[in-house]
Amino acid sequence: MKLREWKNKFFRWLDGDYDVMADIMEGSLEPDENHEQVKRDRRAAHEEMTSSGLSQAVISAERKGFYQFYTGVAIVSCIALIGVLLFTVNLLPRYGEENPRAVEVSDRYIEQGLEETGAVNIVAGMILDYRAFDTLGESHVLFAALLCVMILLKKDKKNMDSQFDDYYQIEQDAYFDVSKDTVMRKVGVLIVPCIFVFGIYILLNGQNGPGGGFSGGAVLGAGLIIFESAFGFELVDSFFTARVSMAVSFVSLAFYSFAKGYVFFMGANHLHNHIPKGIPGAILSGGLILPLNIAVGLVVACTMFGFYSLFKRGSVGGV
Amino acid sequence: MIFAWIRFGLCALCLITAMVCFTAAVLGANRFGFIMNRVHAGGVGDTLGLFLIALSIILGDGFHMGELKLCFIIIFMWFTSPVSSHILIQVEYFTNPHLYDHVKREGLAEKTEEGK
Repeated sequence: MKLREWKNKFFRWLDGDYDVMADIMEGSLEPDENHEQVKRDRRAAHEEMTSSGLSQAVISAERKGFYQFYTGVAIVSCIALIGVLLFTVNLLPRYGEENPRAVEVSDRYIEQGLEETGAVNIVAGMILDYRAFDTLGESHVLFAALLCVMILLKKDKKNMDSQFDDYYQIEQDAYFDVSKDTVMRKVGVLIVPCIFVFGIYILLNGQNGPGGGFSGGAVLGAGLIIFESAFGFELVDSFFTARVSMAVSFVSLAFYSFAKGYVFFMGANHLHNHIPKGIPGAILSGGLILPLNIAVGLVVACTMFGFYSLFKRGSVGGV
Repeated sequence: MIFAWIRFGLCALCLITAMVCFTAAVLGANRFGFIMNRVHAGGVGDTLGLFLIALSIILGDGFHMGELKLCFIIIFMWFTSPVSSHILIQVEYFTNPHLYDHVKREGLAEKTEEGK
């Protein structure tokens, strides 16, 4: 009997219906009156909008034909996609079977990667030398994403005067600005330099070990975010403005495009390019891989901090 | 021989304790109803659990370059995890209007007033 009771309790606890600590230390929070009122108003407005006869008639007339069409198209396109994918899978080499085309490329990378790219890290040699245009596209995608977020979230004179924005501006500034906090500041002084040094280390060692532009840039961007959390936007705005962000991203991407375009142009025409490969293992080695890593890292860092800044206050580097 | 077994035992003990810590942290962070309890449970896993795992690895493997890096990770986590808990609780403190009711219900209000 006792056992069944316990079992019952355990399964209720597992489902979330029963709280063991309810009487001892839990204080279930009362629902927020204000929030409930807002929800009720919104629901009422929605019902009012949808319950009027005219709109109901329009919606039902639209739906009747459209949903049949939609269902039919969805089924047909799903079957077509499944068929195409199954056909493609059928063409792949079987598991464990030797695939001459794939082996040719990977063997080339493994055997001659060090000699041809000068990078100890084969992956860096692949993504920034053999397939550099792929990485260039990825960097441009990041930059385009930053521009899109800027189009959607940037605050300017046209959308700053509404009541909604003002309300959220004031509330969020008061509650979620941690930069005045003593603990955060003191720990920030200790942590931020270490993060920046670590990020630069990852960035500069991409050709010799794990790391490279994307991971190093992500660490740098995270360091910038922690820097902002600890010291506030006033300090960051003094060196990281919208112009600086855009200029750094543009210069990095342009340098990447021109440098790699030059190398590919010379290589495709069997000409000698004048970029020294250096001694493998040294920091200044790998030809163009180190500067390209730095370029990618700067773009990633600018994008990450730009996202954070746009989501937090609606602008990069000051309104 | 005996020394190796003692080392292995200590290593296993640390690892098991760390697993207990992390189990408590996962259960607490998901099951507790009040945010301060949840943050406390999560902080236990982040600090004591990680420290014990690193200790068990150092005991089992000896102290090399990799373990030195582990020590840096532990120092980093011990700096950052309490700060993040502190910030979370600060936001809760500023945004939750019913926090004082909860404290009163627990009988903590009298204690703090006595403390003053």
